Amino acid sequence: MRFTLIITIATVAATQFLAAETTYSQALDKRIDLSYRETDAHTVIRDIERKTGIQFAYTDNLKLQDIRLGRVAFSNQTIRHVLDELLTRSQIAFTEKSGTITLYKAQQPGRVTGRVLSAQGEPLAGASLHIPELDRSYGTDSEGNFSFTAQPGSYTLVASYVSYGTQRQSILVEAGGQVSLDFVLQLEEGALSEVVVVGYGTQQREEITGSVSTLKNEKLNAAPAINPANGMAGRIPGLVVLTPSGEPGSNSTLRIRGENTLGNNAPLVVVDGIASREWERLNPQDIESITVLKDASAAIYGARAANGVILVTTKKGTTGAPRIQVNYNEAISAPTMIPEAADAATYAELINEVLEYEGAEHLYSPEDIQKYRDGSDPINFPNTDWYDVALKNWSSQRTADVNISGGQEHLRYYVSAGTRFQDAIYKNSATSYQQHNMRVNLDGKLSKYVRYGTNVAVREVHRDYPTESASTIWSQLRRSKPNTWSYWPTGEPADNGDSGNPVVITTNQTGYDRNKTTVLESMATMTIDIPGVEGLSVTGNAALDLTMQNDKLWKTPWYLYAWDGEALDASGNPVLSRVQRGYTNAELTQEFDDTRLVTLNARVNYDFELGRAHKFNVMAGAERARGETMDFMAYRRHFVSTAIEQLFAGGDADQNNGGSASQEARLNYFGRVNYNFDSKYLLEFVWRYDGSYIFPEASRFGFFPGFSAGWRLSEEPFWKPLLPVINDFKIRGSWGRTGNDRINPYQFLSSYAYATGATNVYIFNQNEAAKILQESRIANPSVTWEVANQTNIGMDMHLLKSKLTFSAEYFYNLRTDILWSRSLSVPQSSGLTLPDENIGEVENRGAEFQLGYQGTAGALDYSIAANVSLNKNRIRFWDETPGVPDYQRSTGLPMNTALYYNAIGIFRDEDHVNSYPHWEGARPGDVIFEDVNGDGEINALDRIRLDKTGLPTQTGGFNVDLRYKGFFASVFLQWATGAMRNSYYEQQGQIGNYLASEVEGRWTPTNIDASKPRAWNRYNEYWRNNANTYWLQQTDYLRLKTVQIGYNFPARLASRIAAKDVQVFLSGMNLLTFTGAKDLDPENAPTNAASNNTGWTNAYPLNKVFNLGLSLTF
Amino acid sequence: MNRNNIPWILTFVLATVMTTSCNTEFLSPPSEGEFTDETVWSDPALVETFINNMYFRLYEPLTDGRGTANIVDEGHYRGNAASFQFNNSQLSQDQLPAWSYQRNLTWSGMFTSIRNCNIFFSKLEEIPFTGEVVDGKSDADRMTGEVHFLRAFFYHYLVTLYGGAPLVTEPFELDDDFAVERASYADCIAFIVSECDKAAELLPEVHTGSNAGRATKGAALALKSRVLLYAASDLHSPNTVVSGFSQPELLAYTDNNRRERWQAARDAAKAVIDLNRYSLHKATPAAGDSVAQNLTEIFLTNNTQEDIFVKYFIQVMGQRWGLYTSPNGYYGWGVNAPIADFVDAFQMADGTPFDWNNPRHAADPYANREPRFYATVLYNGAQWRQRPADVQGIDPLNRIQTGVYRRWNAATNSEYEAYGVDTRNSPIENWNGSYTGYYCRKYIDPAVNVQYENQTVTWRFFRYAEILLNYAEACIALGEEAEARNAINQVRARAGLPPTEASGETLLQLYRNERRIELAFEEHRFFDVRRWMIGPEAYKPIHVARVVYPLNPDRTTSSTPVVTHVPFEDHSWDDKAYFFPISRDELNKNERLVQNPGY
Repeated sequence: MRFTLIITIATVAATQFLAAETTYSQALDKRIDLSYRETDAHTVIRDIERKTGIQFAYTDNLKLQDIRLGRVAFSNQTIRHVLDELLTRSQIAFTEKSGTITLYKAQQPGRVTGRVLSAQGEPLAGASLHIPELDRSYGTDSEGNFSFTAQPGSYTLVASYVSYGTQRQSILVEAGGQVSLDFVLQLEEGALSEVVVVGYGTQQREEITGSVSTLKNEKLNAAPAINPANGMAGRIPGLVVLTPSGEPGSNSTLRIRGENTLGNNAPLVVVDGIASREWERLNPQDIESITVLKDASAAIYGARAANGVILVTTKKGTTGAPRIQVNYNEAISAPTMIPEAADAATYAELINEVLEYEGAEHLYSPEDIQKYRDGSDPINFPNTDWYDVALKNWSSQRTADVNISGGQEHLRYYVSAGTRFQDAIYKNSATSYQQHNMRVNLDGKLSKYVRYGTNVAVREVHRDYPTESASTIWSQLRRSKPNTWSYWPTGEPADNGDSGNPVVITTNQTGYDRNKTTVLESMATMTIDIPGVEGLSVTGNAALDLTMQNDKLWKTPWYLYAWDGEALDASGNPVLSRVQRGYTNAELTQEFDDTRLVTLNARVNYDFELGRAHKFNVMAGAERARGETMDFMAYRRHFVSTAIEQLFAGGDADQNNGGSASQEARLNYFGRVNYNFDSKYLLEFVWRYDGSYIFPEASRFGFFPGFSAGWRLSEEPFWKPLLPVINDFKIRGSWGRTGNDRINPYQFLSSYAYATGATNVYIFNQNEAAKILQESRIANPSVTWEVANQTNIGMDMHLLKSKLTFSAEYFYNLRTDILWSRSLSVPQSSGLTLPDENIGEVENRGAEFQLGYQGTAGALDYSIAANVSLNKNRIRFWDETPGVPDYQRSTGLPMNTALYYNAIGIFRDEDHVNSYPHWEGARPGDVIFEDVNGDGEINALDRIRLDKTGLPTQTGGFNVDLRYKGFFASVFLQWATGAMRNSYYEQQGQIGNYLASEVEGRWTPTNIDASKPRAWNRYNEYWRNNANTYWLQQTDYLRLKTVQIGYNFPARLASRIAAKDVQVFLSGMNLLTFTGAKDLDPENAPTNAASNNTGWTNAYPLNKVFNLGLSLTF
Repeated sequence: MNRNNIPWILTFVLATVMTTSCNTEFLSPPSEGEFTDETVWSDPALVETFINNMYFRLYEPLTDGRGTANIVDEGHYRGNAASFQFNNSQLSQDQLPAWSYQRNLTWSGMFTSIRNCNIFFSKLEEIPFTGEVVDGKSDADRMTGEVHFLRAFFYHYLVTLYGGAPLVTEPFELDDDFAVERASYADCIAFIVSECDKAAELLPEVHTGSNAGRATKGAALALKSRVLLYAASDLHSPNTVVSGFSQPELLAYTDNNRRERWQAARDAAKAVIDLNRYSLHKATPAAGDSVAQNLTEIFLTNNTQEDIFVKYFIQVMGQRWGLYTSPNGYYGWGVNAPIADFVDAFQMADGTPFDWNNPRHAADPYANREPRFYATVLYNGAQWRQRPADVQGIDPLNRIQTGVYRRWNAATNSEYEAYGVDTRNSPIENWNGSYTGYYCRKYIDPAVNVQYENQTVTWRFFRYAEILLNYAEACIALGEEAEARNAINQVRARAGLPPTEASGETLLQLYRNERRIELAFEEHRFFDVRRWMIGPEAYKPIHVARVVYPLNPDRTTSSTPVVTHVPFEDHSWDDKAYFFPISRDELNKNERLVQNPGY
């Protein structure tokens, strides 16, 4: 927490500093009684000094004694009032600093006038104008005008208006002078004139012709999430955020418009123009905006754009006085859902049933079961709820950050530091997550022609784990038997006859696994406006990213306390023996990774007009990127002592080490041409000529174009009558071709690789380990890009003076040349390990809708936004085994579907079994598999293919923001439907416990009309070891994703702590979930969307979070 | 900023672009994880590592801890539905249950291994061998011989399981026609034998130093002995199973020259014996020797005089047999548990068969059995290694507990049952307990705490005892009974048993039982049952031991258990299971393939 301390100190120091600077009116607010028949100013000042002890400072040339005053009588008035009354007429002003009141000759004040307008040129009535230096605010009149006088000096003017942004300008007021300035405010998100970050540039929202969605900082930060991705779910139409694990430090899986390829579906992430940066570990406060390119507009990223592009832009400084913002959030979190395990008595009953079905005798007598149930003999008949003993009710998380921004035209700065912490839900948890970020973003203008920018960000991410993985822990929690002990009455952790007692393996009693990642991301950019050619500029960009990762896994023997089941001491407690578990002796594995990426690019931009109506923007550039990774590991065991946890202290026997490296290189040329006719007809062409080391020399470069066009009907004369209702209407369409190069590199070469892993050696001469070299694959000399053909049509509508906005999109993506191996159609007798070939074809189509309304009702401002995304993919062609029956074919269905036996009920009794085709050996209480092909027997041909996968086909979000005077609130609902998961969990039966929901109402000889099967033992039953629909769960859900309610203190109150803005708020995430999915959170599901993957059943559950936040702006 | 700087900045920007000009080089960073074709085949040292991979791909059960023992009448894999299906001949085009544990012994796995060999031969001309002579053979000869041997070994398994298979001797390229038809059984055997002969020619009799563990001439001859013995067996001679099939030549010889084949098998075994390089380990037990200990040593020692071809292990290879096979009371996983029917096959110490109808045998079935019983099986009451710390309180005596103890509870005045720590109702990992009342003892190194450590016992692909038995089997078939008895009695003598005088059918049955016991858990029984065509005998309802310590009249618990063998699980046989099914998918991919009968 040292870092947090530094931030705290910095914050406090900054606060002090500001307090000293501001007019902190303690002296002037003092009250006083004064009474004179006739006097002069000098006497009055002296008397005030005497009566109050307040110091006055003034010079003789004010000639105070010459200011004659008549009758003076003040009773309990502030000094400010007194001085105002007595001195103002004499052109003497005053100010207080550090308790001393200074008197000085007042200069003639200057006058400031101006207007606040919208980007469309409409006056904004009631806009607020704040002058921080004077701590004063003014409003604009019905024409948007403002006017005020001020003493000579430099001031910052901050204009703001509801649902429009904020703008700052600096002015200099001279004595008696006049300053006139206007503000043009941009409508915020969803509005027309928003500036949107696109590939290698920015565009006005109204001129965008592709499918581009954005998310602003405020929405991202509404969710009290450690990982900003969690705050993004449901916010952007077409973007699916899957959160398969809630473990501190875990990542999300992002999918743009679902999945499009059989291969890698990860979108390209570009942070501040640099590809392949990790954005989920950024400080969310540093993120200005997130743009998602969903269609051909991504073509400018060419060969890596096929899965869509996410552009993350960090904040920049704004001109003006330093603005300091401090944010602090303190939260508690807990799993959204924890399964309910069967209790000891139920478990004992089930085991008896299992033994009975196996033809063995009952293990537990009715008396035993009764004791488990009533807890009358807890030493011999314990009843342990493992979730309860190993988990806390709440764990904590907090974030703190401070940022300072400001500057002048030649140097604008945004500097921030932040820290984030998240604990796990285990008692005495060894798992925790900590992240520290620092960022310096500078930019400015060096001269009339030269602009520069530089971003440097450093972060350190600490992930601490116990030696067992989260999946082991959650599996152990789920399977640990309820009729074993967790702790003995005397407090020792119990030997529960299994390889890990959850109350111990969640702590650092077994050692630790500590992962530290340090990331440096730096970038410098320079833009030169070519003198003499209006609109022509050249930009150069250089970036260096370094990632260093250090992992230390220290495993030590650990201890449990065993009881022989009989011996009791005098006080009736079990006599225990301490036994070593886990690892025979301490062992240490250290791993180090180093990744470097250098990206250089240069581009030329030319804006010009031909005539008045033809506007062009032309950009072309080149980029090269080179990456290097290396890693090594070392391992030792046989530590004599565990006092020193370093490799040198380990024994020499059985030591092991390894290392590897790789390189990547990409070179490409790209460009964009925009043509805008009278803001009516919009055309865009983007392209990239992309070269990648992944492909053979001959097919190393690919050309990826994207075309789009828009027509703003509302600009046409014929639209005029409609304008009052529909003030903006645009239709647009795009087509593009992008690539996907995310395959194993070097598939064009025949290659051989050493088998990795310690077990992959062959031993000669008793103990000499020899390397083994394996054929990796045979070459595919013609391997090339996957090609994505993306078509999009959309429309954007603004109604009722842009209060109501509506967008709709339809897309059709056809991915061809998907790299896939022919392993299902090439006979195995070929012995080949096949390379990927460009054979697969997948189509994906869908639609997105977005609706927003912004309104006011009295002092209440509100906005409502909703979005819905639909998508469904279909395999058009891939390698499929010949001869598969039609109903089992995967071609024509979504990717990642699986085959299941269709469970159609439970066999009631022996007659029922005999009346229907059944699995050999089926008995009453077993699951009935449907005889799908009607051949009278149940075999592999009776499996059916379901078209659902782990990926939802419909997602959406609904958001309401409210603002009433200082209060604000937002509610965000998010949903996903159309996905399913396989809830089969193997380790049940004699090996582990059942879930209560799975066994309540199960089939027993006395409950033959059950809908749940009889007690089972692990995978022994045919309906356990064959994938079938009985275990499938729909994971549709609707959840209260985030909710926030807060208060902005009035400036009057804020100023008491010298702040401009003080905000407190309560927020929550995942507070309510409505779902049919049982026992585990519906988002706990396989990430790879393959429905047969049941690894998720051990996933760390998702968290619900309650947060208290404080945000101060100085 | 001075305007004069602008040209410099422009230069900088342009230089950035310029540096990208040498595309080809820039975009061709070398692969740092893999070797290219040229690198490998121009370096004999790398070629050797490629051959090492072929050794690595040879099947043995110790690595994965589960052998074919569980799917023949040797062992039982607790609660494994797939093994149960296999044991009931539920093999089909769609499933080959329980076969995934036989690493690399699948249709595709064996063809991958064969491809590796074929690649070597296709590149043979390119390899710049050093010509260095070690152990009397040049590196070219030695490596070529090794790959001939390995190709023969892979094909041996393939043909044994499937019958005649596509004879692929060239590596395929991506655009080749992959549809190759099955060769006849006779052609496959001829090919394998010729590979063995080539290998025997090229390989040294002994490898020294770092080459120890590579195939020798003896290994090639021993493989040939096994191949020819299998080929001469009932399954591959005209028989009712094969004759009903449309293409019997794929599964068996169609001629009646069986005597020739037995003669070839006899000669092949004799060739190994005549090398005079191998002998039984402790062939004549010395006075005072524990014979069981002698037998155990064979499997726990790295090198013995009996070894013909072995695979060594070291710690990091993660050999699982010890963990998987040990009793749950030692935190083992109770796999490969001997079934009661297999236990009954062990003779009495005097060489007479065990018999439940003999009251003396039945009263104490674990007494006075032949030494191989004690070396192979852990039974209730067997003295074994020290218990893990937390189990020492339950079993301070370190004796296997697979029984139930009837006890009297004075407090409640009632009888109750306490379960041994190695049963399925044990307090220690009961789900890993054996159902059969027995655990396998063979290959378990008692010095290793399997809960934490991997054991490193050596696997023997071929040992001399097998060759003696192969020889005996061929001699019996040829009517050379004295010669057969001589070989069998060598094995019996080492096992502490008196010589046999049997002849005729009795000798044959005695031989088969001898082979079953001597080579138990060594991946022989599964294949022997098939080639002898005794499926119905081996796959029938099995029995397990029920061990009860009864309550004495004085309400103390008896210290002598009552042991019975009771019926447990139904196993059944279908003749189709003599050969494996070719998968439906593979048939669809290669229309020239013909399915085996019954599928």
